[in-house]
Amino acid sequence: MRWSRASEVRDGMRVVPSRSSEWVKPVTSKEPASTIIEIDRVSQVFQTSARKDHLALSDISLTIEEGAFVSILGPSGCGKSTLLYIVGGFVSPTSGAAKMKGQAITGPGSDRGPVFQEFALFPWKTVLGNVMYGPRQQGVRSTEAEAQSRTLIEMVGLKGYENFYPKELSGGMKQRVALARTLAYHPEVLLMDEPFGALDAHTRTRLQNDLLNIWERDRKTVLFVTHSVDEAVFLSDKVVMMSKSPGRIRQVIDIDLPRPRRRNELLLDPRYQKYVVDIERMFDEVDETGSPL
Amino acid sequence: MFACIGLLAVWQVASLALKNDSFPTALEAIRAVPDILGDKESLINILASLRRMAIGFGVAVLVSIPLGLLMGRSRAVAAFFNPLLMVIYPVPKAALMPIIMLWLGVGDITKTLVIFLGVSLPVIYHSFEGAKAVEEKMLWSSAAMGLSPVQRLVRIVLPAALPEILTGCRTGLVLALITMITSEMIARQSGAGNILFNALDMGQYDTVFAMIIIVGAMGICLDAIFERVRARLVRWSEPQFDMPLSFS
Ligand SMILES: Nc1ncnc2c1ncn2[C@@H]1O[C@H](COP(=O)(O)OP(=O)(O)OP(=O)(O)O)[C@@H](O)[C@H]1O
Ligand SMILES: [Mg+2]
Repeated sequence: MRWSRASEVRDGMRVVPSRSSEWVKPVTSKEPASTIIEIDRVSQVFQTSARKDHLALSDISLTIEEGAFVSILGPSGCGKSTLLYIVGGFVSPTSGAAKMKGQAITGPGSDRGPVFQEFALFPWKTVLGNVMYGPRQQGVRSTEAEAQSRTLIEMVGLKGYENFYPKELSGGMKQRVALARTLAYHPEVLLMDEPFGALDAHTRTRLQNDLLNIWERDRKTVLFVTHSVDEAVFLSDKVVMMSKSPGRIRQVIDIDLPRPRRRNELLLDPRYQKYVVDIERMFDEVDETGSPL
Repeated sequence: MFACIGLLAVWQVASLALKNDSFPTALEAIRAVPDILGDKESLINILASLRRMAIGFGVAVLVSIPLGLLMGRSRAVAAFFNPLLMVIYPVPKAALMPIIMLWLGVGDITKTLVIFLGVSLPVIYHSFEGAKAVEEKMLWSSAAMGLSPVQRLVRIVLPAALPEILTGCRTGLVLALITMITSEMIARQSGAGNILFNALDMGQYDTVFAMIIIVGAMGICLDAIFERVRARLVRWSEPQFDMPLSFS
């Protein structure tokens, strides 16, 4: 039991060099890759308190390939969170379906790990207790879960804070714990809802770099909601631009930038700058046309 | 502590000033305390009261917390129990005693049941509110880790709502003491309330006031013990900073 887990981890490490060579050239949707998530004509209607139907998502179709970093970008209220909740299985769509590896998503599962903007840490558990929670739930022995969790906590830069309670942490630290807690149970897909939205610019940049490092190491599929254009371009293989009222996919943009990405190089790269400018213009259009006022 | 001594001092001065037979001085009342506690029969009575209170409180907490939590997380359960509780809530539990006495007699069961009813409602209410307020994303996060609905109720909703639940239990503890005394006042057969009201009937006012001191001291001690336990259990949720009353 213990040995098989240890070898899994080693396998995970060995994957890195073979894949990273792939990543020297930009990956586009033309390259054959297996689909991991399929969103098929999903619509979501909410009953408002005024007893009126509100169409939050209209006919959304999207496929996400295994190992891809996909960002969802759009104005506030366009249904980004709702879409993420549907993929997480926390909300079931009014019509249409979301699939994970060909199986219809009917509820939450440990193959899809959410990281919420609100952190949602367990306040009665210490940092270590929070990070260990998932592995323990999945039957990992406590000494082993603790060792893995300590490594993760160190990886997200919180060494020395293992025994702190959430209330004793800053916002950025809580977000790191939330990320570590989700990574700890090895979900195949990370679902991140504006995870860095509440942070100051400096912390945000640091966490973006950390996330990219982690991602470049174990290449999980990431679905990342944000309303920051540079964040989306910096991190993603694909940016999904949404418009609002009702929430629709306006355009899917492939980001052909080399990896590993380094912030200091990228900011000077004209290709990066062009993506940002183009997408920002598109964002403005979407925001104007989609305004309910 | 100082407040207690101050209160006793005011009492002493007031009773000396009034010179009323039915208002003994604080010293007289305090002097009567060891007499009561030294009397074997009184002591048995008081211990019987405490036992009823412990059972009534314990059973009420064990039943009310799961019920309140379920109501807080399930609309169907809440819809089922809410009307029932809304009817029971405003009724003084002591007013139900005559009916309960009719059915179950004047013994331990009746009195324990009244204590149970008195404690249940605040505990249910606070557990309900605590469970309702649990952050949805916390439940979602745990569901993604593979916790079943029952596990979520026990391992997420319960600890998350614990501060609120314990607030309800603390109110419940004080109510247990109150309903204990009132139940013994109505069904006079044994207990601390029985001693108190018998003494009142016989005009032994120093005993009356001594009993009030004993019951009051019991209340203060129980509450203090409970508060210590509570503070330990929910240290993780206590606010980090005091609110300064003035910035000067
Ligand atoms: N539970 C709900 N009941 C009713 N309407 C809802 C509910 N949740 C979301 N909505 C509506 O659905 C729309 C999309 O909401 P959602 O939270 O998905 O937007 P968002 O794109 O994540 O916005 P933001 O960037 O501000 O987080 C909004 O118009 C909102 O009013
Ligand atoms: Mg949102």
